[in-house]
Amino acid sequence: MAATEAARLPGSALLAAALALPGVQPASADSAPDQRSVSFRYLDYLDRQPGRDRVRIKAPTVHALAPLGSDWSVSGSLVSDAISGASPAYHSSALTRLRDKRQAGELSLTRYLADGTVSVGAGYSTEADYVSRGLTVQGSLSSDDRNTTWHAGLAVNRDAINPVTGAVSGERKRVADLLFGVTRVLSSNDVLRLDASASRARGYLSDPYKLFDERPRERRSTRLLLRWNHHLPSLDGTLRLHWRAFRDDWGVRAHTLGLEWVQPWRWGLSLTPQLRLHTQSAARFYVDAQPGPSVPLPPPDALHSSFDHRLSAFGARTWGLKLAKTLGPEWTVDVKLEHYEQRAAWRIGGRGSPGLEPFQARSWQVGLTRVF
Amino acid sequence: MGGPARRRLALCGGVAAVAALAGCGLPPVQPWEKGVLARPAMSFDADRLENALAEHIYASKEAASGGAGVGASGCGCN
Amino acid sequence: MRDAFRIRFQAMGGDGEFMIAAVDETQARRLAQAAIDEVRRIEHKYSRYREDSIVSRLNAAAGGPAVECDEETLQLLDYADTLYGASGGRFDITSGVLRRAWDFRVPRVPSSDELAPLLALVGWPEVERRGARVRLPRAGMQIDFGGFGKEYAADRAGALLSGRGLRHGYVNLAGDLRVVGPRPDGSAWAIGIQHPRQPGALVASLPMYAGGLATSGDYERGFDLDGRRWCHILDARSGMPVSAWQSVSVRAPLAVAAGTLSTIAMLLEDEALPFLESSGHDYLAIDRHGTLHQRAFPGPPAGGEATRRPPAATPHPTPT
Repeated sequence: MAATEAARLPGSALLAAALALPGVQPASADSAPDQRSVSFRYLDYLDRQPGRDRVRIKAPTVHALAPLGSDWSVSGSLVSDAISGASPAYHSSALTRLRDKRQAGELSLTRYLADGTVSVGAGYSTEADYVSRGLTVQGSLSSDDRNTTWHAGLAVNRDAINPVTGAVSGERKRVADLLFGVTRVLSSNDVLRLDASASRARGYLSDPYKLFDERPRERRSTRLLLRWNHHLPSLDGTLRLHWRAFRDDWGVRAHTLGLEWVQPWRWGLSLTPQLRLHTQSAARFYVDAQPGPSVPLPPPDALHSSFDHRLSAFGARTWGLKLAKTLGPEWTVDVKLEHYEQRAAWRIGGRGSPGLEPFQARSWQVGLTRVF
Repeated sequence: MGGPARRRLALCGGVAAVAALAGCGLPPVQPWEKGVLARPAMSFDADRLENALAEHIYASKEAASGGAGVGASGCGCN
Repeated sequence: MRDAFRIRFQAMGGDGEFMIAAVDETQARRLAQAAIDEVRRIEHKYSRYREDSIVSRLNAAAGGPAVECDEETLQLLDYADTLYGASGGRFDITSGVLRRAWDFRVPRVPSSDELAPLLALVGWPEVERRGARVRLPRAGMQIDFGGFGKEYAADRAGALLSGRGLRHGYVNLAGDLRVVGPRPDGSAWAIGIQHPRQPGALVASLPMYAGGLATSGDYERGFDLDGRRWCHILDARSGMPVSAWQSVSVRAPLAVAAGTLSTIAMLLEDEALPFLESSGHDYLAIDRHGTLHQRAFPGPPAGGEATRRPPAATPHPTPT
């Protein structure tokens, strides 16, 4: 046997070696879930402008996630929107009835590797006038200490558009999205995520149910999204903040700021008030509403035009409140109420588009989740 | 500055911001200090259904959309 | 609602207990069952007594063909290698064969003739590994994970409980502790350290908010002969027990780190204190004369959820 020798490695190396053992720390985002989960959510949404109800949506949705062995997981979701009501043909006028059902499904498979994940997904959506198919590939890579995680994603969508009015037929739309992001753990109570993404849509991008709606056949956009979750130990609550800057080549510049505060309470309850502020400039080819009752016309030499108030300049605010409760070890239920309002006068950093009615929406949602 | 040049600048700025955030030096948070970070409220994709619904609704009411992820969104909300 | 549930069970040749707090009874039992299942999984997978365990298969194939091992086993073998290096060869997972010479129920020291053939079968550096295939080169060689298996199971059970949302409680496997989180009011669990010479008495009460706490002592198994204590912790190089310390307790973020630090400290004998100091963790060591040497106990470890102001420290350690 070897003669007495001093320890070759310092004691500090032991902890590092122990941390390398599997499963000795709670699972991080890089490891496969060890439980299945099923969620159901129901949304009831109604929007209106002064004096007129507009679109009503009732949407049950379901989502399920399950591990497959120790390195894989699969997840899928289904949604069935029932849309009814009326939508303006131009600006806030000429409300036209609409009724439609949309079914959409999505499936994705994730592989968990030593330092990251890879996912592939497919989606399919169909409604009377629109069919969409999409594929996504995403990946993430974490540093050794798991404090930094890189993300990348690519999605392509191919849509076929056949409006019921027959205004156009056999039209197509192709969208490609690219995303690049990073998550950083800043402290034991802070985590930040920044995502930069770019998107290009080509094909038929106009709204066939709106009057004189002739949009460019290409749209390129970029977004920067910053998200920050901050836990406050003294209140045991969490501040969740997000800010998104959006710009595209249609002239739209938008900023969105969202804040929510998750406050756990007793008896397994938690309360989350939320606020969202949005402001956007109008698309370059958006045509302002003129005073007077007559139906407007696009400018005589304009190549593109739109009277869709969604492309106008406005600001919007959302107030919401969510109440969640854990029922036993497996179940969680939650209820959420939101009020949304869009007004030209609320635009920040510029003039809002004139002649539009304020637009409001209220929605409530109920959700049920089981983890087992 | 022309359209495409501005767009390229915006995208490069975004990528640079992401890289800067990743590279900034901070005392590393040790694995045993991450108890709070495991809570759903501290994650970015805890409730996929809720996030997806919200994104879908806002995208159909406003001109701006996306940012949080890439997805087979498939919605006729032109 | 009751504040905390203490759930006891038998595992790994000793008493096990879960302390699960701030959840209702159904949830506590569910969590405990999931954690017990994980402890039993490890117990069965690495048991010397079960023919189908990976350890038994490796030992049965000693001197014969290599055995394919899974990822978890390979990582435990890597850790065993680190321990061999950190202890200068004193901690060796092939030293279990020395059990045949030492029967600690009988106060008898084996002769060098009895130890020599067994020492010839001890030699971690000789264990062959090619990729995932592991081979013990000589018939009669044996490996076992008794040196840190319980601590590993405590960490895995603790991580599982934590992953399932438990924020207050701990896992205790025969004195190897992994604390998931403090008491529901934020104060520490007071964990008693057994007095090495007075059974039933405590030498200290250590506050634990999170992480691992393990103790190695000469009082668990052994005998007294000629005024000297002969304990079950054997230096793998000589086959003889160590005697410099009565007990060493270490607090580290992982139970497996705490347990192996304390065992290696016992093995390093007079070189233990520099080793423990270099690890940076808190420790409480009682030398052969009963003198306490310690660093930093009591107090919470740095960072994370565990940093709440502890209640005013009592002037003297009190038994729990």
